[in-house]
Amino acid sequence: MAKSITRRDFLTKHRRKADHISLTKKDWPTARVAKLYRKYMEDKPAPYYPPKKDYTPVPITPSRKQASVDWNDAAAAHLLRRTLFAPTFPEIISTGLDSMENTVDTILADQDQPDPPGDWITEPPPQWDAMTEEEIMELIETYFQRQFELIGWWMNRMAIQPMSIVEDMTLFWHEHFATSFEGVFYPQAMYEQNAVFREHCMGNFRELLRRVSFGPAMMIWLNTNANTVNHPNENFGRELLELFTIGVDNYTQTDVEEAARAFTGYGTNGVETNYNYDQATGFGNHWLSHHDFGQKTFLGQTGDFDGDDIIDIILQQDQTANFICEKIYKWFVYEVPDDTIVDEMATIFRDNNYEIMPVMEHLFTSDHFYDENFRGCMIRNPLTVTQGVFRQLDIGEENIPINYLIDLQYFMGMIPNMPPDVNGWTGYRSWLNSITLPMRKLFASALVDGINPFGGNFDFEPDVIALAQTLSDSNDAEALVQDMAKLFFPLPISDELEEQLLDALLEGAAVYDWDINDPGAPLRLRNLIKYILRKPEFQLI
Amino acid sequence: MKRRDFIKSSLALSILGTQIPLMALGKTQQTIRRRTGTWDSDRILVLIKMDGGNDGLNSVIPVYDSLYHQARPTLAFDENEALMVTEDSGFHPQMAPFVPIFQNGEMGIIHGVGYPQSNLSHFRSSDIWVTGSPANEIWSSGWLGRLFNNEYPNFPNGAPEHPIAIQFGSANLLEFQSEQTNFATMLFDPEIMYAIVNENYVPGSNDPPPETYGGDELNFVRELDLTTLEYSEEIYNAGQNGNLTVEYPNNNLGDQLAVTAKLISGGLTTPVYRLHIRGFDNHAGQDNAHPQRLNQMSTAISAFLQDLKNQGLDDRVLTVTTSEFGRRVEENGSSGTDHGTSGPIFTFGSTTIGDVFGSQPSLSNLDNNGNLLAEHDFRQVYSTLIEDWFGLDPSISQFVFQDTFDPIPFVSDPLSVTGSPAVPEAFALFPAFPNPFNPATNIRFELPIAAKTSVRIFDIKGREVRTHQLGKLNVGKHDFVLDGRDLSSGVYHIQVETAGSVQSQRVTLLK
Repeated sequence: MAKSITRRDFLTKHRRKADHISLTKKDWPTARVAKLYRKYMEDKPAPYYPPKKDYTPVPITPSRKQASVDWNDAAAAHLLRRTLFAPTFPEIISTGLDSMENTVDTILADQDQPDPPGDWITEPPPQWDAMTEEEIMELIETYFQRQFELIGWWMNRMAIQPMSIVEDMTLFWHEHFATSFEGVFYPQAMYEQNAVFREHCMGNFRELLRRVSFGPAMMIWLNTNANTVNHPNENFGRELLELFTIGVDNYTQTDVEEAARAFTGYGTNGVETNYNYDQATGFGNHWLSHHDFGQKTFLGQTGDFDGDDIIDIILQQDQTANFICEKIYKWFVYEVPDDTIVDEMATIFRDNNYEIMPVMEHLFTSDHFYDENFRGCMIRNPLTVTQGVFRQLDIGEENIPINYLIDLQYFMGMIPNMPPDVNGWTGYRSWLNSITLPMRKLFASALVDGINPFGGNFDFEPDVIALAQTLSDSNDAEALVQDMAKLFFPLPISDELEEQLLDALLEGAAVYDWDINDPGAPLRLRNLIKYILRKPEFQLI
Repeated sequence: MKRRDFIKSSLALSILGTQIPLMALGKTQQTIRRRTGTWDSDRILVLIKMDGGNDGLNSVIPVYDSLYHQARPTLAFDENEALMVTEDSGFHPQMAPFVPIFQNGEMGIIHGVGYPQSNLSHFRSSDIWVTGSPANEIWSSGWLGRLFNNEYPNFPNGAPEHPIAIQFGSANLLEFQSEQTNFATMLFDPEIMYAIVNENYVPGSNDPPPETYGGDELNFVRELDLTTLEYSEEIYNAGQNGNLTVEYPNNNLGDQLAVTAKLISGGLTTPVYRLHIRGFDNHAGQDNAHPQRLNQMSTAISAFLQDLKNQGLDDRVLTVTTSEFGRRVEENGSSGTDHGTSGPIFTFGSTTIGDVFGSQPSLSNLDNNGNLLAEHDFRQVYSTLIEDWFGLDPSISQFVFQDTFDPIPFVSDPLSVTGSPAVPEAFALFPAFPNPFNPATNIRFELPIAAKTSVRIFDIKGREVRTHQLGKLNVGKHDFVLDGRDLSSGVYHIQVETAGSVQSQRVTLLK
């Protein structure tokens, strides 16, 4: 048997010193600050990043037939699992009784911006050159703490989300435009990008793309602010084409270079940029001295293009809508895109001038989306594991041990605002391996017991009785395990599994012995929920 | 595998087959140690990926090349700064720990490793390196995935006791992906892994998953769950038995190499480890980041080599670095370098030939993007590992890459004959697979000399039911597929005759 392991040791031992020095920028915000910042970051732990690429899924088998939408609580649960971090039982039942159209409308409805994580979000950058080394170090520490305040604030939004797609869609766009705070440095800039995702996640893609491209975070992250006529930097130009819009192999190296030239002359101080969204141009001396005003030839068109022109030309390419819709398909439906459906979505996208909402509406009301084949065919991402379970256990924002959850994500592989690189996370089966699967089970079962697996107890104990009372009949053992399965498993359960669940709850007692008011009931319920959360079925949505 | 039925698969049978060369032809004694296509060596390969694209020109530096200094006004090193190791090249100053290793003949440098029509995207180029595909094709399985699939076609049935491959952290899983499965086990610490896995294991269900994509994914999670449980025990035991004799540097690669050494020392027979060190994508500020990376890498690897040597394990381990590409010859305006093409690969250990393979790339003969032309194909390196290091038949590397790549002689004690084509020692007939069979089975044999060959089939009473004249066949392995569709069930003798020698075996047709 293994020696006993103190999990606190584990945490300290395995969160190594940072390996992300290269994500920091040499001269950003100034050479002097950058040097101190790098030194500071060297002592910070590096998160685990799941593999870049992963399993190729089974190819579509044509024999698997399409079903037409049979709207019931199973179909409703499917929609809610794919658009929320995790649904509650009452949500599943009430939407199952409502119509599909009403449910989709509710899910897709606009949401107000939440209160920001702090007043600092608009704080202007300091005069770095006028500061002493100690003052700089102090501010670096403050900024770093704010970055994690922002991450925790965001993760809390997921755990207490209303019945809305906005949180998931915000994460989707973050994954798409994957930006890491380590390179950006300013928490103000990271917040600004998050607010853009929230505001435009269901809006117009052209506007979203502009807001992200010319936002301070992206300008810093992919070196647009260092991209000048005399020293062009291809970084943004390449990723704009490869990862953000058209996809690899649909453009040439020359297109990358020409796009880079068009994006010269934009700049940011970390909070504000020299780009004017209304006039669609940069301004000021930086623009005049560093923008390349020459002719560029990009994707077959020639002109004295700037960044907005490049975005317009990209959106004239049919492939752009297909690339984005394929990504939406893979995030919401299945890892292997169905070309016919993606084409349908892309046509709607283009016909609606790149409005995102109609595409989502079409997808979520299609037969295809509700096909039995796709039930449970996605692997939960790490945030839907931790934040989803918190939402389902209804622990309340004030009780969420957010720093613990961030720590957990160091091992599970998905700290928001810390993607491995600009390609984002690979997702799908890459989330699970011989490290992360056991960690997920450890998290879930420890949570139900109210125990911090890294040592100590939480300040709260999940109210499993209250959870059971949200089910249809908590006093009926068979109904209770069936409802629990409906809540946590996306696939219908077999008789054998139902027996196992009953065993986990009753430990051999007869079904009619179950009494929710029995003093032993909370313990038994915890056993059942722990059992459920450690079953392979729980990893699917 | 303790918790799974071990199926007597082709694997078990072919191991027997290799140990019973059925008949030797007159052949002069020659030290041919080639294995017959089956993985039975105890050799270990440690692969280290330098994530992001290492700058080869600033690793093994062409200090006297004026074009190098022109292209790198802020980043270049001259002959006084670089650590001169050959007439024309010096190591980066932060690679100092490698200098004595190179001078001892335990470090190989393979210049200019890349592939034709290089792709400048990290993600595509990484995929090309791990799948072993040509640049213009997208392959969905990895080179090691196909290699292992050839050995363990029914994995996880018939899987070895120990993990087939161990990967640390965020290495690319595609490398170990076959069409059916993934052969890698992810690891960071053996003890923790064991404790967490065992405390949280819930016995699986036997109910069949639904015949849907959701069912496919459930199968995947269940398989992973079980394999993790089984392998965590083996890894834990090896970790308990293993030793370290040196102090490893406190960095990520150092940690990975320390665990690797411990597991090898503890008797884990896993043949392939994939480690990684991040941070080589230095578009800006390379003068700061690159030296740190090289320092971490060289101190960690030199500790590892010393540890293996102290424990007498060095003759079983070959360490090889890879990277998805090199960097642009010309530096950019931010004291960095943009994505490039080829770069050097380093090989380490008493198991490698300490030499320079190829020459410093030409800086005047560049491609249209100002990038280096590749001198070696990375698949040459991988083919060498398959054939010379693991001693597998060249037909296997040919299968893995769907093409033939000339080996590079960097393995110091190859399990095959250096120089090709390799000549088999004896005429050998391998066990038919499958057997029993229906309707067809594959009969493999190996010829030491080119000769006319025939296959004759006899029934149980000795009546000849078929004769196949195969004509003159070349030296090497051949497959003959026996089609039993017009034969009735029963036992048959298969006789393969060549150059006056006959080998035979029984097969059973079950209809």
